[in-house]
Amino acid sequence: MRRVLYFIVMLGMVMTAHAGQPLVSVDDARMRWLPGDLPMAGYFVITSHAPGTLRLLGAASPAFGDVMVHRSLEESGVTHMAHVDGVDLNPGQSVAFAPGGYHLMLMGRTQELHAGEEVPVTLRFNDDQTLVVNFRVTGAQDE
Amino acid sequence: MTGCAAAARVLGSRFLILLLVSLLAACGQNEPPWGLRNISGLMPSLDFTLTEARDGATVHGKDFRGKVVLLYFGYTHCPDVCPTTLSLLSHAVKALGTSADQVRILFVSVDPARDTLAQLKTYAAAFGPEVVGLRGSADELEAFTKRYRVSYGYGKPDSRGAYEVSHSSAVYVFDRKGEIRLLIGSTDSAPIITGDLQRLLAETPGAST
Repeated sequence: MRRVLYFIVMLGMVMTAHAGQPLVSVDDARMRWLPGDLPMAGYFVITSHAPGTLRLLGAASPAFGDVMVHRSLEESGVTHMAHVDGVDLNPGQSVAFAPGGYHLMLMGRTQELHAGEEVPVTLRFNDDQTLVVNFRVTGAQDE
Repeated sequence: MTGCAAAARVLGSRFLILLLVSLLAACGQNEPPWGLRNISGLMPSLDFTLTEARDGATVHGKDFRGKVVLLYFGYTHCPDVCPTTLSLLSHAVKALGTSADQVRILFVSVDPARDTLAQLKTYAAAFGPEVVGLRGSADELEAFTKRYRVSYGYGKPDSRGAYEVSHSSAVYVFDRKGEIRLLIGSTDSAPIITGDLQRLLAETPGAST
């Protein structure tokens, strides 16, 4: 019995190690610069080429202490932001992270950033799949 | 109007002249529709007491008479909607060319606890010289937001003390006399805004500037 359990644990580890990159394409990845250490927003268009449902769970970047998936919502003329636990992508589906909707909230800069630079962001999906995407830093008035 | 005047020459009787007077009045009211939502007379004129982030000076609503004013409420820790709105307004105003100086975009912080004058100053400056960052005490802000029925609220702080602020998404447009005229909504484009600003600027050419 113990041997069987050991095998299952080993199998789990092998599957995790093989998780790798998800079958997605990410286009027009950019983040809008704001002064000082104010939180910035990251935008992109993500398209799934995976055979099954894919779920974007979060993101991280060496240039920021914390990155969250957020969504801006407008109800009865009032705007507010909500934290999002995950965004589901059906096979072939595209989702735009765009101003006034889904965006990455990039907080706690660990380095100075300037318009024109590129910043790596790791997108994290279900089954421990990750994808590193370079985001272009745009000017405050570029969106 | 030419058609109305020609009709006046043809018609003679007193009754028809009376009819014509009312027709002429109708001609005058037939102004082309605005691209933005017309809210003339639905809100009070521009009046407030706040602190200007650029130099720390106390400013009043009447200090902006002679300019067309776009009024927006937001906060600097807002990475998505506030910069998107300010960027849209700034592009719409810049498209006015040399007349851009006749317009001011007032960005009023609804988060004075975090928005220091220094922070508001650099934030406003990032969107152009026509953006004016304004901050008020809790009382000043309450008086101002009540006057325009602007709502805002604060979310629960997270472990680092960060919190969300919900706020009205509308932008109010005041004419050079400080009267409320138009409302910019989240779906209005820069060319529509620029077109209506041009019309407002043309209303009182050179007056009190």
